[in-house]
Amino acid sequence: MCERIRTYYLIFTVACLMCTITTHVADAMDTAVSFKTCLKCHPDIQKELAQKGAHEPFRKLDCSSCHNPHATKYEDLVKEETGKLCRNCHQREKGLLAKKHSHVPFEQGECLACHRPHASKNPKLLVAKADQLCFGCHAKEGGFTKKTKHDPVRKGRCLSCHSPHTSDYEALAKKEPKKLCVTCHSIKNKKTQKSHLDYPVQGTDCMSCHSPHGSNRRHLVKGTLHEPFAGKKCTTCHNGLRSKNPLGLKDKGATTCLTCHPSTEEDFKKINSHIVEGVFCVNCHSPHASDESHLKKGKEGKTCGHCHEDTKEHMREKNNQYKHPLVKEGKCSSCHTPHGSDFRLFFVGDELPTCTECHERHAKFTHPIGKGAIDPRSKKDITCITCHNLMGSPYEFSLRFDRKKQLCLQCHKGY
Amino acid sequence: MFRKIDFLILFLFLSLIIPEDALCAGKARVKHLTCITGNQEIGQFGLLGGIFFDERKDRLYVTDSTNNRILAFDADFKYISEFTRGGDLVSPTSIVKDSKGRFFVTEPTKGHVLLIDMAQKSMEPLDFSGIPRANPIYPGHMAVDSADRLYIVDKANQRIVVFGPNLQFEGEIPVKGGHGLEDVKVDAAGRIYALSTVDGSVRVYDRQGNLLLRFGKRGTGKGEFDFPSSLAIDRKGLIYVVDQHKNQVLVFDKEGRFLFAFSRLGWREGRLHSPSFVHISKSGQIFIVDRENARISIFEWQ
Repeated sequence: MCERIRTYYLIFTVACLMCTITTHVADAMDTAVSFKTCLKCHPDIQKELAQKGAHEPFRKLDCSSCHNPHATKYEDLVKEETGKLCRNCHQREKGLLAKKHSHVPFEQGECLACHRPHASKNPKLLVAKADQLCFGCHAKEGGFTKKTKHDPVRKGRCLSCHSPHTSDYEALAKKEPKKLCVTCHSIKNKKTQKSHLDYPVQGTDCMSCHSPHGSNRRHLVKGTLHEPFAGKKCTTCHNGLRSKNPLGLKDKGATTCLTCHPSTEEDFKKINSHIVEGVFCVNCHSPHASDESHLKKGKEGKTCGHCHEDTKEHMREKNNQYKHPLVKEGKCSSCHTPHGSDFRLFFVGDELPTCTECHERHAKFTHPIGKGAIDPRSKKDITCITCHNLMGSPYEFSLRFDRKKQLCLQCHKGY
Repeated sequence: MFRKIDFLILFLFLSLIIPEDALCAGKARVKHLTCITGNQEIGQFGLLGGIFFDERKDRLYVTDSTNNRILAFDADFKYISEFTRGGDLVSPTSIVKDSKGRFFVTEPTKGHVLLIDMAQKSMEPLDFSGIPRANPIYPGHMAVDSADRLYIVDKANQRIVVFGPNLQFEGEIPVKGGHGLEDVKVDAAGRIYALSTVDGSVRVYDRQGNLLLRFGKRGTGKGEFDFPSSLAIDRKGLIYVVDQHKNQVLVFDKEGRFLFAFSRLGWREGRLHSPSFVHISKSGQIFIVDRENARISIFEWQ
């Protein structure tokens, strides 16, 4: 009896295995045949197939690894959102997301912003040659149009200094700023030492004074110079060459800066203050040279985003597509004051005048706002930001809720 | 038919064996009690700074920085009076009271911490002249321990300045690495808790300033901070951290392990919009400055 059961079990198992194998083989054959059929209607793809660096699944006609031949909710009949789809196979790139800084298209899964899905004449399936690809989006940035260009910029070799996907360093730099430039440039030679007035600049951040992309000044020195730096009066702030610590600061903390800029101290003495420890001015300003106004360390959005990481993320969030134009441009100081403010959210002034200064017409026909127009939920005056979230919203006009559904019902119950 | 019954029995069985804690994750345990908003009597609130609940007198004190006043409410949160000292008080933010009945109020715009006697209507700044400093002192939030020691956040020097009961400068606790130092609290055992916003961390020190514990980081994960702005410790030693951008209160145990969070972004009562400060009374009421909703939201354990 027992032997008979064992025999039946064996026959059943073998039958199951055979069935599974034959189904898979048949499926594979069917797919190959059917995708060859697809190519008859898509001759353009046929041409791509002949290219040398074609994407492996494409070359093998394994179209089903990315496409569903019948129906999907994504464009071009792809099976999933592009980012997810690519990362299914490209696991190494998926791992890169753990790094501190990400290229925005990479983070948002917009792989096709730089890569072609089937084939390309360029290496790594890039949509254009490396020198044209980056400048396609970054043409206006970082002094590319300046008179003197950094050699890798001139040659379009952005990847000499930057990583294309992610990096642990700002601006997707390959190394930390102190180590990046010295990979190619020696600072131990006499000429370089002399041009730095014999100060021991080894181990300092070259980009504190030099533009890594281009400049109208010699030696790629940035455009706007701090007055003592321009006059080579280093000892205004630093100990000087006779000291054991020549680059050390003469004063403690922000006194170094506030001695010459006393009125700025008053800007920080507000209910909301950006005051922090140390020489806090250099958190946002460069003490030597800058390509930005007010010797700002970098573009405003970037500088502010350094501490306001979550706000930066909120603005980047794909869903929060409706933003104030100034937010898109990263001009934070148009509405917020960078040092200190007696107004909510570090606003430069009262919200209503700040908004209606530009939105003059809107102020005349809008929902009642200002004094006497009370928000029934908080019992305080209704202002523009009661209904609008200018930092980014999924709803038109940067509204906090959909104006066709929930927005009005927040206060006007029973409609 | 039998299958449905089987499922029903299985569901009931699982409901019995899975602890309630796992299902509720703490959210339902803290409920909204009430809130204090502006009204005709007191006018609208401006930017609210700090809160202090006086256990001896059963009074709640709130600083209204924009309107240069300190408001007092009774135990039922009904308005009693306001203190402005004839307009001399300027942008008060933090407020605490010691066992001797002395109020300490920060005036950051003047760089002062005022010693206030409300009955006598007298105000006098504490003497900062003997305190070594790299930057001018910008006083932030404060705390008082059971021995009437006063702890003041000195944002510009990233430290907690300590004054003794006789109002003499006693020393400092440097908060190393705590970029964006924002708040300080002291628990019943005398441990000092410091919250750093930019660093996204809570540091716990003993009275001698030795670091006992550090926890927290900024991020999007469970128990991580977006933009933490204030903290408070209850009688059981649970640590409550208000996150201004998450619009939530995150609760941690004594060891800094995340337990649960309550409330979320909203305008209705019980919801928060840019909460900036938290204070917990000895009876366990949780007072939150709900800044963008211009109100004090009060929560308690069920």
